[in-house]
Amino acid sequence: MRRGRVATFVYSALWLIPAYSLAQETIPTENDQLTIPQLAQQIRQLQQQDLDLRERIRILEAKQSQASSSGLASGLASGAASCPVAATDPALPPNPPPDAEPTPLPEAPPSAARDWRDVHNVQWRGFGEVDYQVLNQRQPELGSDGFVPGSAGNFYTGDFGLFMTARLTNKASVLSEIIFEEGDAQKYHVDLRRMLLKYNYNDHLKMSFGRYQTDVGYYNWAFRSAAWLQTTADRPLVLQYASKGGLLPTQAVGVSVTGAIPSGKLGLNYVAEYGSSDTIRPHINGDGLLTDENNGNQANVGLFIQPDHLRGLQIGTSYYHDQVSNNTLNASSSQVVPPAGSLGPSARYGQIIVNAYAVYVAHGVEFLNEGFLIRQALIGGSLHFDTPAFYSQFSKQLGPVRPFFRYQYVNASSNVNSIFDDVGLRYGPSFGARYDLNDYMAFTAQLDHTVRRGQPNLDGLQLQWAFTF
Amino acid sequence: MSVKPMTMLLLLAVFSLASGIAAAQVEDVAVVVSSGNPAANISRSDLRKIFAGMKRSWPSGEPVKLVTRGSGCIERLALLRLLEMSEGEYKQYWTAQIYRGEVDAEPLVIPSIGMQKEALKLFPGAITLVNAADVKPGMKVIKVDGFLPGTPGYPLH
Repeated sequence: MRRGRVATFVYSALWLIPAYSLAQETIPTENDQLTIPQLAQQIRQLQQQDLDLRERIRILEAKQSQASSSGLASGLASGAASCPVAATDPALPPNPPPDAEPTPLPEAPPSAARDWRDVHNVQWRGFGEVDYQVLNQRQPELGSDGFVPGSAGNFYTGDFGLFMTARLTNKASVLSEIIFEEGDAQKYHVDLRRMLLKYNYNDHLKMSFGRYQTDVGYYNWAFRSAAWLQTTADRPLVLQYASKGGLLPTQAVGVSVTGAIPSGKLGLNYVAEYGSSDTIRPHINGDGLLTDENNGNQANVGLFIQPDHLRGLQIGTSYYHDQVSNNTLNASSSQVVPPAGSLGPSARYGQIIVNAYAVYVAHGVEFLNEGFLIRQALIGGSLHFDTPAFYSQFSKQLGPVRPFFRYQYVNASSNVNSIFDDVGLRYGPSFGARYDLNDYMAFTAQLDHTVRRGQPNLDGLQLQWAFTF
Repeated sequence: MSVKPMTMLLLLAVFSLASGIAAAQVEDVAVVVSSGNPAANISRSDLRKIFAGMKRSWPSGEPVKLVTRGSGCIERLALLRLLEMSEGEYKQYWTAQIYRGEVDAEPLVIPSIGMQKEALKLFPGAITLVNAADVKPGMKVIKVDGFLPGTPGYPLH
């Protein structure tokens, strides 16, 4: 019995040691009297160890402060600054003992603070992509991004973008996005895709003046230009940039206002845009023609909710209006070439684009669902064309890999007076995976199958390296 | 060995483990704002919106300045738990926010508590997270959902 008790005390002491070192809150009982001197010794050792470590931290911080005047700011700007008491290192206690005198930590010199602001005044970023595509086109279609239509497969560079933001005052800033876009025969042209003077009065009123990307739909807002941001290797056709055959007026010059509407946990927001645009879109069927829509002024209003109780859910709608022409030009000579039987460039159409979407992006899941109805109605006549389009995309992050599936659908009239007669009916799935090598580089492989009205199906493979810096 | 000492031993083991776990979990992270900021309490929901860059100004109109610690810090881990993101998702999220034009820059990353304190002085709209045990005199700690760090029910660990 006595041996049993001794064994109990020894085991008790062994269990209590970690508890003391972690919490130092356990009240000793009579049975623990034998272990108290040992524990006191251990605490003294830990305290000494802690003081040594704190001294090391102080030295390291002093070195960092010295470095700040010569280059720490760049480290801060890039987010490279690390925790001095790294929680990842269990050997470093995060908190001092309660009875120890607090050691004053060194203040950074004022020069370091100035450097942070200087660096954050102008921020440069860039993004780019290198692609390889194989497409079984028997009859060449539009080659955008540098892809050579009709080739069995080739490399191209897509968009290379330089992105800059600069803070002017506490509430005003400038944003610009300059894109070098590869065209035919590896010729690059420059596009000032966004140039905005922004003024954020408060959360309810945020204004932007300049060239903006229209907030028609979620994808335009969420992914902007950078391939690196996208899960897939390309944008859904309906949301492709107009310069690459997309159907929506993606850019305008004017004013864009957005903000939160007081709505409690509903998280209601609005967006209102008014501007001028002149969309020129090449025909995607490879007929060598362009449509100059001469849009005139456009208005777009939208609402969306981001409910508090379901983080990641966003549901929204938008309504867009402008007027367009079906002005067909020869892509190489810019000569007007109205198709036989068409009403010609003088006919004006009222264009309405209604969009609705429901997306969920959280916990590694991305589930995007977006639908459009584009109506173009002849002004002064009864002729009108409705183009429904939608896409649905699902992906899930599994470690560094994000497999995805997308299904898209566009159904445009093939009537010669329709602005989207080159598009016709197209639908089909895409699937693949994106692999994130690190925070700056990603590789995407994507297979596409597209069904076209009156033409053979298209099958394609896209491989893409996307990066940001 | 009889049954009684064995039971006692087991009870002691459970007690020791429980006290150790409790000590590890009680690392409350305080929400600290600039001393001139009139805010005294913030809801967890608003805190999440602020650190996600969705709420970018204080009720007074002062722009919010986010000041954070680097990856691996206790404060950063608490931030990621608040936003329900991994470190990788957090970085990608902010890059996307910048490209969207929603924010001008990523949150300021500060390597030491001394610099955190200085940033709070420099930016009137600054907000940051500080390990509650490291809060220094002069730092204004605000309540979260009506709770101060160290009180039962405090939601930020």
